[in-house]
Amino acid sequence: MKTKMPKIKMSKTKIVMSITIGIACFSLMLVMFMQFKVVKQTDITSIETMREEDLRTELADWKEKYTELTERYNDVMAKITEYQSEKESDEKTAELLQSELNQLNLALGTTDIQGEGITIILEDKKDTELSEGIIVSQITDYDLLIVVRELFAAGAEAISINDNRIVAMTDIFLRESNEISIMQIDSQRITSPYVIKAIGNRAYLESAANSKDGKLKQLQNAGHGLEVQTSSANKPIIINAYTGTIDSKYMQDKEN
Amino acid sequence: MNNKNKISLVIGGMCILLSCGIAIQVRTITGIGSTTGSNNTENTLRDSVLRTKEDYDNLYEDLDKAEKLLEQERNNATENNTELSELQEEIKTKNTQLGLTDVTGKGVIIELDDNHSVSANSIGLLTDPNSMIVHDSDILYVVNELKNAGAEAISVNDQRIVANTVIECDGSVIKINGVKVGAPFTIKAIGMPETLKNVYRTQGYLWNLKYYYLLEVDFQTSENITIPKYTGTYKFEYAQANN
Repeated sequence: MKTKMPKIKMSKTKIVMSITIGIACFSLMLVMFMQFKVVKQTDITSIETMREEDLRTELADWKEKYTELTERYNDVMAKITEYQSEKESDEKTAELLQSELNQLNLALGTTDIQGEGITIILEDKKDTELSEGIIVSQITDYDLLIVVRELFAAGAEAISINDNRIVAMTDIFLRESNEISIMQIDSQRITSPYVIKAIGNRAYLESAANSKDGKLKQLQNAGHGLEVQTSSANKPIIINAYTGTIDSKYMQDKEN
Repeated sequence: MNNKNKISLVIGGMCILLSCGIAIQVRTITGIGSTTGSNNTENTLRDSVLRTKEDYDNLYEDLDKAEKLLEQERNNATENNTELSELQEEIKTKNTQLGLTDVTGKGVIIELDDNHSVSANSIGLLTDPNSMIVHDSDILYVVNELKNAGAEAISVNDQRIVANTVIECDGSVIKINGVKVGAPFTIKAIGMPETLKNVYRTQGYLWNLKYYYLLEVDFQTSENITIPKYTGTYKFEYAQANN
């Protein structure tokens, strides 16, 4: 009996100890998992981890966006007052509606437009022998997608390739069947030379097109034909309207 | 003795586990290379960025309200005239097509993420670990395929794809509409699900990303997708209608 007592006591302290240790371990694990989660969620796009130079460009970007948004806001406010003051006259209201529609059509790409910009003539020189054993490979859909991207990045307001207007849902595909490749824009077949027209700030567009690291120069270096023409005051770039239909069968405005 | 051994073994094991955990943690954090708050100019800049973002968001809310008001005014001005209300409807449709409204509908959702379980095996198979992360070109191409499959509206990580959207690489992140986005990427498209499904065809671009480049790809159709509106601005300084 006497020997049993301390044994029970011992195991009691042991139990208490192991429970404490258990709890301590458990809480540590919890903290660790929380940590892991936090680290996983820390996304690299967050400004917390940006350096000075990145922060400066970020700030400039946001300021520019803010200015653009202010313009848009003022524009909407102006329209509101116009509608309010012209409410009584159907004729004036129709004019207002029409001018709004004109603006929207410009953005949708459903009107012919003109303005300063550049014309790029890109000729596919595939299968010609550049030098001994080096054969020029074909211009791909990806190449054209990148050219379009670079022009939009340089501030292009409208682009067309072989008179096919690039709109929001335009796709560019190189279809390969029976060893013949066909370039298609919105399922319309186009062939080399690719005439790419862009309207926007002429200087920006030109420098993008002539950039050493740009896709166009890369294609030229790879053996393709490249010619860049800029518009002049009496000979602006003219880009035709989108000729396809813009569908909105499946999407609906979300009701708030 | 036996009991003590057991306890020390358990505690020892736990300690090793915990130390491993902490070691991994420390390594990850140094890997991120956070120098947060070390520099005064950086902090000021960070503040200004945050403030400008906040201003932008506030102004955007105001713009939202103003646009609703504008629609009301348009309605008021056109309600008694069928010809005018037709024009008003046309404006609404075109706003939708331009991506200036949140839209819902049937479509597909694609999840695209870097390969996180790079094993020795796969490294041996594809020597370039660079091929196991999602690139701007992958997104550009998947979006191109969705457009070809008849998508009416597309967003990537809630950035609406419009005509002059630029999807580009900016260091280690991807920029869409000038906004930085990071992996995992959620690409949503509204359109006829049957044709959109074709984007995930065997040997197609997306399929190859999953089975050849071993990226994490998930493809699902959905009856109810919401795609947010474009929050940028259409600007025409150089182009004018050619009449």
